[in-house]
Amino acid sequence: MVKLTVNGAPHTLDADPEMPLLWALRDILNLTGTKYGCGVAQCGACTIHLDGQPVRACATPLAAAEGAKVTTIEGLGGDHPVQKAWVEAQVPQCGYCQSGQIMSAAALLAQNPKPADADIDAAMEGNLCRCGTYPRIKGAIKRAAGVA
Amino acid sequence: MTIAPDTIALGRRLLLKTMGGLAVAVSIPLDALAQQTPPAAPPPPATPPLLAGAAGANRQAGMLTAYVVVRPDGKVLLLSPTTEMGQGTSTAHAAILADELGVRIEDVTVETAQPADPWRWGPATGRTMGSGGSWGVRRWAPYVRQASAQAREMLVTAAAARLSVPAAELVVEDGRILHKASNRGLGIGEVAEEAGKLAPPASPRFADPARYRYVGKEVPRLDIPAKTTGAQIYSFDFKLPGMLYACARFNPVFHADFASFDAASARTVKGVRDVVKIPGGAAIIADSAWAAMKGADALKFVAAPSPQDSLDSAAISAAMREGLGASTSAVAKEEGDLAAAFAGAAKVVEADYEVPYISHAPMEPWSCTAQFKDGVLELWAPTQVQDRSLRTAMRVAELPEDKVRIHTVSIGGGFGRRLADDGIPGAVLAAKAVPGTPVKFFWRREDEMERGWFRPAQAARLRAALAADGTLLGLSFRASGPSMRMEFAPGNMKEGDLDGASVQDLPNLRYKKGAYKVDYAMRHFKVTAAPWRSVGATQNAFFLECFIDEVAAAAGQDPVAYRKRLLAHDKRALKVVDTAAEKSGWGRKLPEGRALGFAFFESYGSLCAHVAEVSLKDGRPRVHKVTAVLDCGDLVLPDGARSQVEGGVIQGLSTCLHEAATIKGGQTAEKNFDSYQLLRMPEAPVVDVHFIRSGEPLGGVGEPGLPPVTPAVVNAVSALTGKRVRTLPLDKALQA
Repeated sequence: MVKLTVNGAPHTLDADPEMPLLWALRDILNLTGTKYGCGVAQCGACTIHLDGQPVRACATPLAAAEGAKVTTIEGLGGDHPVQKAWVEAQVPQCGYCQSGQIMSAAALLAQNPKPADADIDAAMEGNLCRCGTYPRIKGAIKRAAGVA
Repeated sequence: MTIAPDTIALGRRLLLKTMGGLAVAVSIPLDALAQQTPPAAPPPPATPPLLAGAAGANRQAGMLTAYVVVRPDGKVLLLSPTTEMGQGTSTAHAAILADELGVRIEDVTVETAQPADPWRWGPATGRTMGSGGSWGVRRWAPYVRQASAQAREMLVTAAAARLSVPAAELVVEDGRILHKASNRGLGIGEVAEEAGKLAPPASPRFADPARYRYVGKEVPRLDIPAKTTGAQIYSFDFKLPGMLYACARFNPVFHADFASFDAASARTVKGVRDVVKIPGGAAIIADSAWAAMKGADALKFVAAPSPQDSLDSAAISAAMREGLGASTSAVAKEEGDLAAAFAGAAKVVEADYEVPYISHAPMEPWSCTAQFKDGVLELWAPTQVQDRSLRTAMRVAELPEDKVRIHTVSIGGGFGRRLADDGIPGAVLAAKAVPGTPVKFFWRREDEMERGWFRPAQAARLRAALAADGTLLGLSFRASGPSMRMEFAPGNMKEGDLDGASVQDLPNLRYKKGAYKVDYAMRHFKVTAAPWRSVGATQNAFFLECFIDEVAAAAGQDPVAYRKRLLAHDKRALKVVDTAAEKSGWGRKLPEGRALGFAFFESYGSLCAHVAEVSLKDGRPRVHKVTAVLDCGDLVLPDGARSQVEGGVIQGLSTCLHEAATIKGGQTAEKNFDSYQLLRMPEAPVVDVHFIRSGEPLGGVGEPGLPPVTPAVVNAVSALTGKRVRTLPLDKALQA
């Protein structure tokens, strides 16, 4: 049994404690906004917040989330400034990586409300986008931060 | 009743004339056969019949014409012939429909149709449904427009009968049919059922372009909001009640298989239910995705020996290099007296180039959900090729077409990878093992990389004959390497043939080049290959445009000035080159350690020039800015098109700097993103996009912005180092 809080709701999961948090979120809690991309923490499509820190859910065993507060893309609420900026800047193309991009960006702005370009690069380096939306992602983060 | 081809042709001409043309954000080649010489204009219309009666499994209440369904509440469903992969086609089609039907675009949803005649394209003998070749808007806009205008007239006719007024006195605005004289109106949903009983008019009147609210305007893409909240359901996310999961385990060698496997080894994992043989390996069926993956890892198998077992990149490279000098070849183009040109040359320039295999690497690994129930197979597949997938499913399931349904689900990246249907058989066979139960068959990232279907490796030898004043007297281009079509369309080609993809876009260069020859010496290896965003243009633009810089240097001329000399007869091309030079500040004094590189390339009916501003730090290139200029005729969704060009630049730059799939032991050495490097945020340049709305026939947008990126960057790097770079990726080339 693993106890954790996901998007504000407490859950007790009877599952393999070695199962990556990614699959517990997707297949047990039906929170499919968090994506599988690589399984080895190289692409960032599964980025979530674990006690406020951005982590890769594909490489985080369920047991490591015991007692933790987990926030997924669904938990941002839809009107988070980063999500609004993403729509305004028309960022996504295929969109598959964007949950992870948004979660990394939201974590960055929570810790550093006015990031410089180098801060954005450092915070976002772990999130791949094959469609090539990086320029718009950077623009949207600046828009959300009011540093455009 | 069918719509006469000339009606459609007229519709298209009107469309082009009155809208000033349409082009947008489209995608990837539909099939390799369409790629030999991308035509300057769409082929003559093999008219899709727009009648609801031809809609097959798509037929439903409220369907007025094949593409247009009006619900009782006035909402509109557009059944699209294309797959939305983020390229914006669905919003472009919705914009056309909304302007033509007289509805708000917010009231339109777009779904990809199931394969049936109105959504297929091609010659009568080979009509097929799919998305590729940057065709999504330029091909389909006239048909969406026609179907929408027909639907509007049918609704108006029905409303006129209901209101007992002449149809001519009615207008449709925001989804309401209004009789302004009597201040009465009806919602389109209120008369949809009656309208559906009417025959579509053969020659509907089209809306006045001056009143367009959406076409050509800054319309937000319909698919974007759900892609920012996690609500978008991609293939991997799609669930059915009681669904099981089936994880693949393959022999990683190309075209190889298992000799045997021990199902009991996988069954030791809790939750594993069954192990099913599939082509190339097995599918491990389990209660959860995680159990299926653990079962796949636990599966013990014996690999069947394969002729590919000892294949490696060095052998492929050696064969390609040998092919560059081979005496026999397949000729793609020959004009003028090349021998005389070289005999009379004051200077000869010659260079050999080479590129490796590259992977599409879409962010979403393959998955496909399937269910056998009541004698019918249903598939929910993230495919770019509905008919190719359908035919494969029919063959594997041994079912006729009317017993197989294929629903297209959202794709986490295509780029041509989903033109291959190699993920279909595993889904069918896994589902067949558990009749009545839906199964999600999936690959992991490692499988996605190992299955390949790469852009093939290729080498090229270019030779130029120059007069003393630098005039180009002759140019020859020898391509050599594996054939994409030998893999992607087997049976249509044999050793020694010309694969048009290998010389794509070269036979009809705009440059004035004197005598000219393009040929190809196939050196095929059985590494799976498929179209990759912009297909042969990916490598041919690099070869040609870097070589043009070499020729310009030999002629002692500035690269842009030299290209303008080769294009002096071509106003349209000159404007693209001049605009890129002007917008990038070509010739300006640059900060110390920086250089500009230029490239121009035409593909998919669009002309593109890029200028890259580059510096080197510790021997590694840093691309600061790419100025992009595209003449694709005109635009439907200007911001969608801008987004496509930006993405093409970034993806092209990724291949230029980092990407190579290395073949070792008959398989790809790079299994995941730790070794197959994609461009990341810190390396992303500013991309400054400019469009030229020339009014010329519509060109593609999704692909033509990619090919000139690599040569622009490499030309800048060569300018910085003083040494020509002729192999990719730059990471590796600059270490050598």
